[in-house]
Amino acid sequence: MKSEDSPEIDEYLLRSARQVPAPPPSAEILKAVGAIEPVRTRTRFGAFLIVATVGAIWPAYTLIRFPLRRDLGALPAPWVAIGAALWAATLVLSLAAALVPARGEVLPSAGRAARISAIAMGLVLAFTAVWTAFAPGVSLRPEDVGKTLIQSCWGCGKYVLQVAAIFMVLGLVLLRRVLPVGGRGVGLAVGAAGGALGGLALHLLCPIATTGHVLLSHGGAMVLASLAGALIFQGLLGR
Amino acid sequence: MDPEALAASEAMARYCDGEAAAFHRLYAMLAPRVLGYLAGLLGERAAAEDVLQLAFIKVHDARGSYVRGANPIPWIYTIAHRTCLDEMRRRKRSRLRLTKDGELRAGAAAHITGVAEEARPLEDDHASAAAAMAALERLPDNQRQALMLTKIHGRTVAEAAMITGTTPGAIKLRAHRAYVTLRGLLGKAGSPAQTEKAQPRTELA
Repeated sequence: MKSEDSPEIDEYLLRSARQVPAPPPSAEILKAVGAIEPVRTRTRFGAFLIVATVGAIWPAYTLIRFPLRRDLGALPAPWVAIGAALWAATLVLSLAAALVPARGEVLPSAGRAARISAIAMGLVLAFTAVWTAFAPGVSLRPEDVGKTLIQSCWGCGKYVLQVAAIFMVLGLVLLRRVLPVGGRGVGLAVGAAGGALGGLALHLLCPIATTGHVLLSHGGAMVLASLAGALIFQGLLGR
Repeated sequence: MDPEALAASEAMARYCDGEAAAFHRLYAMLAPRVLGYLAGLLGERAAAEDVLQLAFIKVHDARGSYVRGANPIPWIYTIAHRTCLDEMRRRKRSRLRLTKDGELRAGAAAHITGVAEEARPLEDDHASAAAAMAALERLPDNQRQALMLTKIHGRTVAEAAMITGTTPGAIKLRAHRAYVTLRGLLGKAGSPAQTEKAQPRTELA
């Protein structure tokens, strides 16, 4: 803004800033305020903790219920660690940006949420695209399980979208009547966070290790979830 | 937090605790400037007053979503902004209204100062303020919002982005474009008095 400062225009604008006397509160407001009662207010981290905790129940159950991928021990440890860290970072950063307002603010910044989640998703996708770990004889390819690439993506993609759907439902419930504007950006970040948690669980569960499969059904489903979040939040929270 | 934000935050906290007097303090503190913002967006004082009342009803209903210790001013602007967008959409849908005879009503175009166009005083101070408002009225909605919030209402770029539900980059770009347009308008008009004669943006039904 500094580069746009123009004393002439600023002075001109300030001429328009004459403060307008406001009318007194309407009878409807006075009636509502007359019957006022104390309310419990939101906390900065409340929504984040609820969505993260409740949303993690199902992925945690699947991690306990189903065996970890059979090639986990044969894969390079740095690849497993960096991959898990990136998926987890996308989850935490996107969810925090979507639901935790900055200190001193009431609402989360939709623009910041969209930006952070887009960058985090980009990093995960780049990692998935450029560094695929494969343990010959242990890791699986789609053809090893008798499926085409697209068929192999169905189950994993569905899982990621289901995890993301839980996040989106929780987010919608918690942000109902809270977010007057910016539903699209916040929805994008909530969808990305849910998709990232699904991707994190699959990083430890899914033994199909080809780049195409991971990029399409893990990363692609996360992107799809974020786009769905943007559309759904914009449509439903804007009402 | 600046003293004004601190005072608003304290009033909001007491309001949430059920203190009616705190609401009136908050209203007295913020209603005039929110009304100014709404009048700038809507181009009509009466409609802006209606939206102001609606916005404060929404603030009352949504007070449970306030985060204690936060500055409530951008939040209240956000609610007012959203309420105003809804009103603008509603008005767009019902822009054309007919008289009893089936004729299009040629209502006086009110100025966003709230004074009807033909009744506006032409003294110098009023004229120059009105000219500035007339120039603002000619900007596209999103550019006007960006400029009003950052230059007239003292909001930071980040706050303006939050209020309008966009990014700080978009706010900067819109404000930049608004500056360019205003420069063009001022250059073309030559004097504030001439700018004042520019066609007002909003024709009232």
